[in-house]
Amino acid sequence: MTLELPGHERADRRGNKQRLWHAAVSAFLLFHLIAITCWAVPFNTPLVSAIRTFIRPYMLWSGLFQSWDTFAPTPRQVNAYVEAAVITADGRIHNWKFPRMEQLSVTGRYFKERYRKFSENLQEQSSSALWPDVARHLARMYNNPANPAQIVLLVRYWSEIPPPSAVPYKPGEGRARIFFEYRVKPEDLQ
Amino acid sequence: MSLRTVAKAWNEFFFTPQSPLPVSLFRILFGLVVIANLILLHADWLNWYGPHGWVTLKTMSKVEPGVRLNLFKIMPASDQWIGAFFWFFLCFAVLLTVGLLSRVSSVVVFLCLASIHERNLYINHGGDTFLRVAAFFLMFAPAGAMLSLDRLILKRLGRAGEKVRPRSPWAQRMIQFELALLYSCAFSWKSMGETWVNGTALYYVSHLHEMRRFPVPHWLNEPILLKLGTWLTLALEFALGVLIWFKELRYPLLAMGVLFHLSLEYALNVPTFQWDVLAAYVLFVDAKDLQRAGEWIQKRFALRLLLKNKRRTTGSLTAKVDRHLDAVSDLDERNATVHPVIFAVKSHGTVYGP
Repeated sequence: MTLELPGHERADRRGNKQRLWHAAVSAFLLFHLIAITCWAVPFNTPLVSAIRTFIRPYMLWSGLFQSWDTFAPTPRQVNAYVEAAVITADGRIHNWKFPRMEQLSVTGRYFKERYRKFSENLQEQSSSALWPDVARHLARMYNNPANPAQIVLLVRYWSEIPPPSAVPYKPGEGRARIFFEYRVKPEDLQ
Repeated sequence: MSLRTVAKAWNEFFFTPQSPLPVSLFRILFGLVVIANLILLHADWLNWYGPHGWVTLKTMSKVEPGVRLNLFKIMPASDQWIGAFFWFFLCFAVLLTVGLLSRVSSVVVFLCLASIHERNLYINHGGDTFLRVAAFFLMFAPAGAMLSLDRLILKRLGRAGEKVRPRSPWAQRMIQFELALLYSCAFSWKSMGETWVNGTALYYVSHLHEMRRFPVPHWLNEPILLKLGTWLTLALEFALGVLIWFKELRYPLLAMGVLFHLSLEYALNVPTFQWDVLAAYVLFVDAKDLQRAGEWIQKRFALRLLLKNKRRTTGSLTAKVDRHLDAVSDLDERNATVHPVIFAVKSHGTVYGP
């Protein structure tokens, strides 16, 4: 035998269930609104910093970390790019260039744009942990058992953009600096 | 203002049921930009994500520690597996776009998107970040409720009616919030920089060689116009982040936002960023307006199709449509939304006129 609930009781139960559901979703929403806002805003008040520390593991795990500082607070005032020199056992120097957007076709830029971003990040001292990996990747590109790569140099070229003036801007003399040198080990070429 | 008022406004904003049309349309646009991103990545897939890529998984885990959603960590580290992962990801991006297994597809797409971003954080731009965060909330949205194969199948099986049940828009609201936050934060970051305040920021941006795409007319590089452009950018980012929530200002701001992003697409070399962001604009458009726009397009399309057919076959089709016209001689505008082809023919008598 089944017991039928009166109509108004069924409606009450449905209402309670919906209220509970709304409360749970509201908690989820409120948490995310606060977490995302505190993570993204460019202010470092003690409260915002404390919240960031608290939510950090969740933001990193969930992929909700974010930053909206393109061209900000100040756009870069320098034109820069990275090239590599791979020296092989016979003493020859092979020049390898990261694709440069200004030298590619429009279609090429769409496909190779990630190299622009990568090269832009690679130049930063904060990315120094990546340099050995990049050097090993380059060494493998020139992998010839008879004439293996021995040294990889990463070189940064740059020219500063002068402040605006009445004289139109013309690209000045570029400067160059080797910012990383890597001695290739046999196991790197495996 | 009482707590009750706040609670009421909260419930109204997040839970008042509304048509799932905007979020369904967003699902399609989102899927398309994910597919475009994948196609653009394909040639260098192994260079970026492979075991012998530019950056190894080990280094990435060392540089960016912490527990993260990254399928590469559980995948065998071989070129074959990483290559197969591309096709797996693409397959689910297509399924999401056409709305087949929409919920499952949205979860898989989010996981794959988060994984490739985590695998190599040094090649991502703002558009990728926006896509990833939007994908997170899209998992909770009724994105397959309309314009999807899921719905078509349910209708065929008799498990869905003609009318679509309105749903709580809370997940859609979170993606809208994310878009507004993007603009607000971009404005805040920029307003802290001296070059944005003194109006020289665009001068520097315009001289970054790697960022240039198509040539910009010379007169636009005049210092006064670059200054105006710098301040206009600030004003627009503020408006799109804050004023977008006011209904009366929404459509003019969206129109300006579209122009802004299209001009950036022309001038700057940041592939797909503009499209990643523009895809979410549809979430700010009222479902009724989307419906109207859809019907208008349908009518125009139907009329064009008929004109084309008329030119090709003068006799048989004309007679067929004429018979239909007789049958629906009392056709009113309401019916026209159900039978756009017939309405279009009737209201444009010249097509079949003498």
